[in-house]
Amino acid sequence: MDRARIFKSILWAITGLGSAALATRFLIGLGAIANMNDAVPWGLWKGFNIFPGIALAGGGFVMTAIIYIMAREEYHKYAKISVLLAFLGYLTAATALVTELGLPWLVWHPIIFWQHHSPLFEVSWCVMLYLTVLFLEFIPVPLEETSRFAKIRIFLTKYKIVLVFLGIMISTLHQSSLGSMWLITPEKLHPLWYTSLLPILFFLSAVAIGPIMLILAILVITRIYRRRTDSQTLSKLGLLSVFGVLVYGLVRLIDIGVKGKFAMIFDGSWQSTFFLVEISLMVVIPLVLMGVRRLRNSSGSLWVASLSAVIGLGFDRANIAGIMLSVDGPMYTPTLFEVLVSLAIISAAILAFLFGIERFKIWDTKWEDPREKPESHPDFDRSAEVWLGTPRLAGRSVYSLIFVVSLAVGFAIIPGKRIYSDGVQEVVSQKAYGGDTLCIDGNRDNYGVTFDHKAHVVRNSNDSSCVLCHHMNQPNDKQSGCYSCHRDMYQTTDAFRHDWHADPANANIGCMECHAIDQERLATTAKACDQCHKDLIPPGATITIEKYMAPSYTDAMHFLCIDCHRQKAEELTDKPDLALCTTCHRWKHPNHLQDEVAEKYNHPYFNHVVLPQKGSKEKGH
Amino acid sequence: MKAAILTDVTKCIGCLECVAACKKTNKLDRDFPRSWHKNDGLSARNWTSIVEKPEQHYIRKQCRHCLEPACVSVCPVAALYKTKEGPVVYDPDKCMGCRYCMVACPYGIPRYDWDKPAAYVQKCHMCIDLIKQGKQPACIEACPTQATIFGDRDQLMAEAHRRIKDEPEKYINKVYGEFEVGGTSVLYVSDIDLEFLSYPLKPGTEPLPDTMKPAMEAVPPVFVGMGALMGGVYWICRRREKLQGEKEGNKE
Repeated sequence: MDRARIFKSILWAITGLGSAALATRFLIGLGAIANMNDAVPWGLWKGFNIFPGIALAGGGFVMTAIIYIMAREEYHKYAKISVLLAFLGYLTAATALVTELGLPWLVWHPIIFWQHHSPLFEVSWCVMLYLTVLFLEFIPVPLEETSRFAKIRIFLTKYKIVLVFLGIMISTLHQSSLGSMWLITPEKLHPLWYTSLLPILFFLSAVAIGPIMLILAILVITRIYRRRTDSQTLSKLGLLSVFGVLVYGLVRLIDIGVKGKFAMIFDGSWQSTFFLVEISLMVVIPLVLMGVRRLRNSSGSLWVASLSAVIGLGFDRANIAGIMLSVDGPMYTPTLFEVLVSLAIISAAILAFLFGIERFKIWDTKWEDPREKPESHPDFDRSAEVWLGTPRLAGRSVYSLIFVVSLAVGFAIIPGKRIYSDGVQEVVSQKAYGGDTLCIDGNRDNYGVTFDHKAHVVRNSNDSSCVLCHHMNQPNDKQSGCYSCHRDMYQTTDAFRHDWHADPANANIGCMECHAIDQERLATTAKACDQCHKDLIPPGATITIEKYMAPSYTDAMHFLCIDCHRQKAEELTDKPDLALCTTCHRWKHPNHLQDEVAEKYNHPYFNHVVLPQKGSKEKGH
Repeated sequence: MKAAILTDVTKCIGCLECVAACKKTNKLDRDFPRSWHKNDGLSARNWTSIVEKPEQHYIRKQCRHCLEPACVSVCPVAALYKTKEGPVVYDPDKCMGCRYCMVACPYGIPRYDWDKPAAYVQKCHMCIDLIKQGKQPACIEACPTQATIFGDRDQLMAEAHRRIKDEPEKYINKVYGEFEVGGTSVLYVSDIDLEFLSYPLKPGTEPLPDTMKPAMEAVPPVFVGMGALMGGVYWICRRREKLQGEKEGNKE
């Protein structure tokens, strides 16, 4: 197999794996595959796809400015490829955005609901407009393949300069506004990154490193298709971009110096290390490798410099859009599936890019008027030494197979616990006998009430005392947790299951089994539970069945304790007053209890509440 | 009237009646602990919560309803807006789920339906419907110790200062929410430091929307300016090309 085919097979496999995760996200929700949470609402897709994606696609407007406005003829052969690269870059960002929006089908809302104070409003307008501009800039290329739509093609080619102007103006706005978006977070973003110059820095870095992304793309495809690299033009373009990098680096460092934050760079914290890595990748390495004449002309240093600059820019955006934001809550690490979706979006874009290169006349030296010399476009590049590309359809079956298989694998590896829940839904208590000290933590927020279970058991005549407090009203009831009926902290719950009762009572006809025919069908007027279930309440239990509503967890626990203590307080004088909340609700975290309680914690039965295995399905009640 | 809430941390006994009332009034579904919850008790289905702090301190957490809210200024579709009564309210019909409000909020209040295919932002709206009917928010109604009270912001501010003045040894001499981020509608007086309610790098007294104002006001001039600049460059380059062409033509 040739290089191109291996490369494309890998991309198809990644796309397949990611598509499975993507489908799960749309069917079940973001929580099913992503680790984003209430403290970190924006995750990998923002920090890895959207912000870096748009910045790196900035090469499109910079190159059109250089070629069409500054009239630098030597770069003309890169005009189409830079537009294609920018178009696909924006498409990846837009796809990632749609993926991570909560209501993706409403992505067009900024068109009708205006809010001009918001940078995101401006960005979304600009991105929509610029995608259109890029589409119009690129569409003449595929239209050359067909004789239809010739008028449109000629029109677009003729007025291309208008599109170029529009593209530059729109890009300037949204590249900088992506920086403005972070001005609202002075209390979250690390001071080494937060500055009022963020919009300017975002614009400058996109201008500087956009063309470097183009260099990298050309290096990659020439390697894949075994073509000769025109390293002279590329290094010239590199030198041009390095000026931009220099300006960016100077503005950034001077800004940090002026604000008196220079010492922070070397204070040894992990943030300062990240900053140094970022600056070296983004500014120092490209500056040395592309700035020094001797190094610039070797293709090896071009490779290293452009890779480093591109990774550095991505790192910078990831830092601002995530890593350097202070988190007040659970830490965020992207799941495998978030990574797969990220990579799948990029892989699909690269596949589209390669398709464009193989299929269309991207490589002509000039964007000529097609009316003049319709047959003059070279097929790929006349200087190519090796016949390029595979036959158009040859790979199709292989790629389809790879995609389908990896899609299936993708679905297979998504664990059920992510789909249904990875939280705790139900408590199954096991070995409830003899637990010495219980930690009653109804909402499982890690603030529990310690309960001296053993003392209560001993005081109430040992084993026969269980039913005084515990319901034993289900068949073989030894394990059902309080939570199986008292499901919510605060809300009362309907303990009666109509669907379970309807079938044995002959479905709908059987209503009259419980509801009297002349009465309104209400829970209060229906037959009581214990009229059928004779053994519902075990002898000796303190509970009574008065209504079909199970009390909320809080009420159940409180009444159980408080009522009993109130009764006992009439006989005995040493009962603690449970009417005071703080008698039980101490502030201490159960893991850091005072020493005397901590001893009891080490008892083997203490940890009697066993959380269900992760991955157990949420049971419907 | 500018609706506001004053919470006196020293009076709260942590009974959670406000939380229960909130869930009941707003018909919030039952809630299970999930991995995406923060550790403060708030979630998409808990719009207010009690945060416990050492030595029997209970602090009720809820949306602060800032006077100049960051969430409102960043929302690209104006789904969040400040009502004339005071509360910051959410319109689910406009929202597209970008979660920029969650990023922007200096108190980390808005929460998200992470487990739903159609997911919305969830937060306290100060029972705006009840306020419009001339009633009090449900949480205020439910409080047995009047630790949290409702009223006009100016009056509550005066009340807060009066409490601090009457018992200066009991309270910290600060009304939380008076100046932070331009002032909030939910105020606290307390005997412990409440800085933990906001992010580690403290927000100043400057309203957060002001941080973006210069950049956003520069947008139209930059748009036109960039066009003009590029037009100038284009004209110069074309002219140079033309002159060069003429020169070469003359040579021949």
